[in-house]
Amino acid sequence: MTAPGSGWPYATDRNNEGLNSADGPGMTRVEPYSRMPGGGISRRPLHFIILADCSGGMKGEKIQALNYAIADMMPHLAAWERDQEQAQMFVRAIAFATEPWWHIPDPQPVAGIRWKPLQPVPKGLTNMGPAFAMAAEALAPGRIERRALRPALLLITDGLATDPPGQFEAGLGALMTQPAGKAALRLAIAIGRDAQSAALDRFIADPNVPVLVANSTEDIADRLVAASLAVSRMSEAGADRSALARRLFGTPDDVPAQIFEQDTII
Amino acid sequence: MTRTDHPAEDRIATWHVITGSARGAAHTVSGLPNQDAVARQDGPGGTIAVAIADGHGHVRHFRSADGSALAVDVGCQVASRIAVRLTAGAPGAEEAALAGQELAEVLVADWRSAVAAQLAVRPYTAQEHSVLDLAADPPEVPYGSTLLVATIAADWLVCAQIGDGDMLAVCPDGRFFYPVAGDDRLDGQRTTSLCQADAVGSFRTAAHDLREVPLVALLLATDGYGNAQADEPWQPGVGRDLAALAAEHDHHWFEQQVPDWAQRCASTEGSGDDTTIALLLHPGGDPRTGRVQADAERGGPEWTD
Repeated sequence: MTAPGSGWPYATDRNNEGLNSADGPGMTRVEPYSRMPGGGISRRPLHFIILADCSGGMKGEKIQALNYAIADMMPHLAAWERDQEQAQMFVRAIAFATEPWWHIPDPQPVAGIRWKPLQPVPKGLTNMGPAFAMAAEALAPGRIERRALRPALLLITDGLATDPPGQFEAGLGALMTQPAGKAALRLAIAIGRDAQSAALDRFIADPNVPVLVANSTEDIADRLVAASLAVSRMSEAGADRSALARRLFGTPDDVPAQIFEQDTII
Repeated sequence: MTRTDHPAEDRIATWHVITGSARGAAHTVSGLPNQDAVARQDGPGGTIAVAIADGHGHVRHFRSADGSALAVDVGCQVASRIAVRLTAGAPGAEEAALAGQELAEVLVADWRSAVAAQLAVRPYTAQEHSVLDLAADPPEVPYGSTLLVATIAADWLVCAQIGDGDMLAVCPDGRFFYPVAGDDRLDGQRTTSLCQADAVGSFRTAAHDLREVPLVALLLATDGYGNAQADEPWQPGVGRDLAALAAEHDHHWFEQQVPDWAQRCASTEGSGDDTTIALLLHPGGDPRTGRVQADAERGGPEWTD
């Protein structure tokens, strides 16, 4: 494959007659049975980026529960990937505290993910803006495939944003300026009821999709399962996100459906 | 005129047309029909018109399968009329370019008339009206569709496109160019459409003198094809391979292959989306005149390889 930039997750061979080979984990390249022009076919990529809070407040049980739950989430997503018709999922992760950093920098096929535990940053703050900006950079035109499905972003945090004035807005603005960032499905899990905030609602920017609150470390796994269902089902092309939100999150009927407000035509 | 969901091929004076259309795997699972359509129309003097269309499929566009079917029928009718007129004269570049613009204008007007005619005999049901009201859409929006039309007449290729999908003109040496300009607004999530208010302005049209720009093939495909291609960009490899395959095989071989290509792209191994391909092949072997490079040097089509 011609890879514009580093980190593209797969490679394909020319699709010659009689070719019969397979690539690495997650690769769904077709075994050719006739001669087709071009470099072969594959499912459309679905990029899933986790933004995980590693501030000082996450130390102890919280980060352990988070690591366990994320690791447990991957097989669910891999099973969905196998069972549906359109997408191959690639996972990346950004960890953030006072500053963000890539925990999984290159898109990894979900089926091959081996989650490396996150570690909290002692006395680290919860600065979300730079993490959003980092995600925005990864979703810029030319950094993801033109044929990619709408990406999915999952923000997991245990606290209110501690960004200096304007930094949260700048980061969120950078994300929403990117067509893929604006179109992305954005979900948030708040660990502890106090973590739920207007900031998370602004990140999600969809009244149909609530912040998923994990009141205890035991709840984290449940919320991540709900998030993985949402990521998978709501990311499918043409999905009625409002109807799915009602089913998955119990969104009240009086929240107006957005399916008719989605931009389908320019 | 034929609208086909199956391969169709006919020998005409100058060009072979091979088509294939397949229902997307995701549509099969959800019970939706193939919302793509394809049609071709042969005219006097070896003229040919080909059209493909992709109904949007979103709940707002609940009659988009009808919209795409109407679009390809209208597309071929209008393009054929223009082709006949071009053949009758000896058109220059300006006249051919104007024919492309006229193609877009008449297409939009005729498609809207066709939609209105269908609504007259098959009005929206109460349930359909409720969707229309919820979305606050004008009556043609449920029929929303893309459209790609090409006609070959009097040594001219005249083409028009609204919405996503791909048109690829392939030279005998494997180089390719895009017969119509790109549209930066097509971000993979949204598309321009026949149903939008300013549809005429969103059409991209062009005319190419095939004596100056000899082609071995012209590929028209709905986005289910491009979205299935693993390479990015995929066009150089496809152009190169199409030229090589055209040198090795006659059109009978392509008749077997093209429907299969559409099927594979539409499968769970590809985009899973409805996929339609129309491949126009120059039957006369190598149509090169030796003037391709000269054309490029003086600012003709933007060649890419």
